[in-house]
Amino acid sequence: MSQPLKIVISGPVGAGKTTLIQSLSEIPVVNTDELATENIGKATTTVALDFGMLTLDGIPIHLFGTPGQDRFDFMWEILCEGALGLLVLVAGDRPQDFPHARRILEFITSRIAVPFLVGVTRQDLSRVWEPEDVAEYFDLNADSVIGLNATSTTSSLLATVRLLELVQAYDPLYAEGLQGKYTFGA
Amino acid sequence: MSVGKQEALQQSLVALRTAIPEVRGVLIASTDGLPMAQNLSGSEDPNRVAAMAATALGLGKRIADTLNAGTLAETSVSGSNGQIFLYAAGGKGVLVVVAPANANVGLIHLEARDAARGIAAIL
Repeated sequence: MSQPLKIVISGPVGAGKTTLIQSLSEIPVVNTDELATENIGKATTTVALDFGMLTLDGIPIHLFGTPGQDRFDFMWEILCEGALGLLVLVAGDRPQDFPHARRILEFITSRIAVPFLVGVTRQDLSRVWEPEDVAEYFDLNADSVIGLNATSTTSSLLATVRLLELVQAYDPLYAEGLQGKYTFGA
Repeated sequence: MSVGKQEALQQSLVALRTAIPEVRGVLIASTDGLPMAQNLSGSEDPNRVAAMAATALGLGKRIADTLNAGTLAETSVSGSNGQIFLYAAGGKGVLVVVAPANANVGLIHLEARDAARGIAAIL
């Protein structure tokens, strides 16, 4: 069996990290939701991690979701250790969260060299930022940003496949790994 | 949080430190990682300690759940220079007790479990 690929999902509170993992996972998701005592627009929040698994083309993919608040930034570092790809989500209807998403992206990529994709969620809403505009805001190539709806399995899968393409392009060794010829960090 | 609650939490921490003088610090965090009351002696950042306490307790809950250990009561971290005990204070709070490595663990548990019950009642 091929070694599992570790993908980390990060981003600000309410971006849809837990939802995306729930949409993708083939196993019951391990989550650490606790009641939120701050007004964050939802009842619960992740305090440690979410963990889910899926299989793509026979390759097991392990999904690790981080908490969104800065006070949990130690978990961003812990969870990103050994990650092969990073998906940073940001809610497309909350431009006020973009600077925070940008900071999270910089925090992680400055500590670990990892290919990343920015996912602009809530694309099912009518008034929402387009991925192209977010790419411009983040000063990124258009192909580093994708629009998605985290509640949809298909949409979440498309984002995952896109991230894996970036992982492949990032380092040919990864590409071989994706074909099961190379094992990671065993 | 009301002033009365805040004071009651603070008093329970003072009582706990008085009961176990060797303890280096105590803190109460919400289960989502915000400090609610603290009595730390060192230079530790209460915000960071509170967030880590919530993370450890949240993860402990899931481990207990996955391995059929039931409702989590406490979890701990032991190092060469100290030990940290994290108690669930009902469903809303975490009680953190920082002790030196050679501390009397039995006494800490006895006092802190009692304190955690009191804190749960306040919350």
